[in-house]
Amino acid sequence: MYYNVQDVTQFQSQKDFIDTVIIPLLSVNLKEDMIKQSSSATQYLMSLTAFIEQQFKGRIMLMPPFTYIEQFKESISPLDIQEEFRNAGFKHVLFITCDHSWTSLKEKIDVIWLPSIPLESMDQTVKKTILEDQLKQVIPILSSKWSQN
Amino acid sequence: MSNNRVTRRQFLNYTLTGVGGFMAAGVLMPMLRFAIDPALQVKAEGDFVQTSTKIADITEEPIKVDFTFEQVDAWYKSDVTEAAWVYKDGDRIIALSPVCKHLGCTVNWNGDSAHPNQFFCACHAGRYEKTGKNIPGTPPLGPLDEYEVSEKDGFLMLGKKIANTLV
Repeated sequence: MYYNVQDVTQFQSQKDFIDTVIIPLLSVNLKEDMIKQSSSATQYLMSLTAFIEQQFKGRIMLMPPFTYIEQFKESISPLDIQEEFRNAGFKHVLFITCDHSWTSLKEKIDVIWLPSIPLESMDQTVKKTILEDQLKQVIPILSSKWSQN
Repeated sequence: MSNNRVTRRQFLNYTLTGVGGFMAAGVLMPMLRFAIDPALQVKAEGDFVQTSTKIADITEEPIKVDFTFEQVDAWYKSDVTEAAWVYKDGDRIIALSPVCKHLGCTVNWNGDSAHPNQFFCACHAGRYEKTGKNIPGTPPLGPLDEYEVSEKDGFLMLGKKIANTLV
């Protein structure tokens, strides 16, 4: 499910089934030497989350990314976000990011950190294979969450 | 003789009716065309999408066939990749949509080791038989959709999504 009216309507009527939310945490860095890397990570994270959404559409809602710049990183508080989404009826709140610093919170929140892979230089089939491999890393995390209850 | 003569009045009547008729036709024809326009439009060369799978390579075991087509959403053009589960049933080629009829996840063939030879949806443990028939007692309420199938130069072509015809 995406965060759009059509899917949200379905979410409201199927809360029992759509119990997981994926929230991408996305760092935007405009410094001359970082901007390419930052955009590459963005592209990767967006492609991967869209792929996860396609595979698990009926159980996962994919949020638009929570985006921040390095200086104002504190404005993003994953703990509060988690609280908010739990109150809205999501049993599992998963953050996904290419920014390693969030792993320091992994005791308190569920965060999946993936090192970014430069997809821009790959052709369509290689890209697909890479994303499938990456998805295989995420599936066990999801199924262990889902088997908890 | 004088009976056959065309009077000035008749002549004017005829010409005015003729010219008026043409004018009315000139106005009405485009309107008529607009009204029936969708029926006149030429359909784009089939709606079939070529895949890279050879017909000869298809067996009784379902395989995943990816195919890509361009989708335009307002100004945003994108290549959409979709997949189908394709297998042979006797001589007939069956292509099933992998989209679960429950809430739209992607189903996998043999995805659950406890239930072999079935399509399995990992989200809510929905199951389907090989024909795409949903197994009662699992969340899906209908059978998997089917794709129209065609062949070109030995390669598989997939067409529109249609309701399952096997169940």
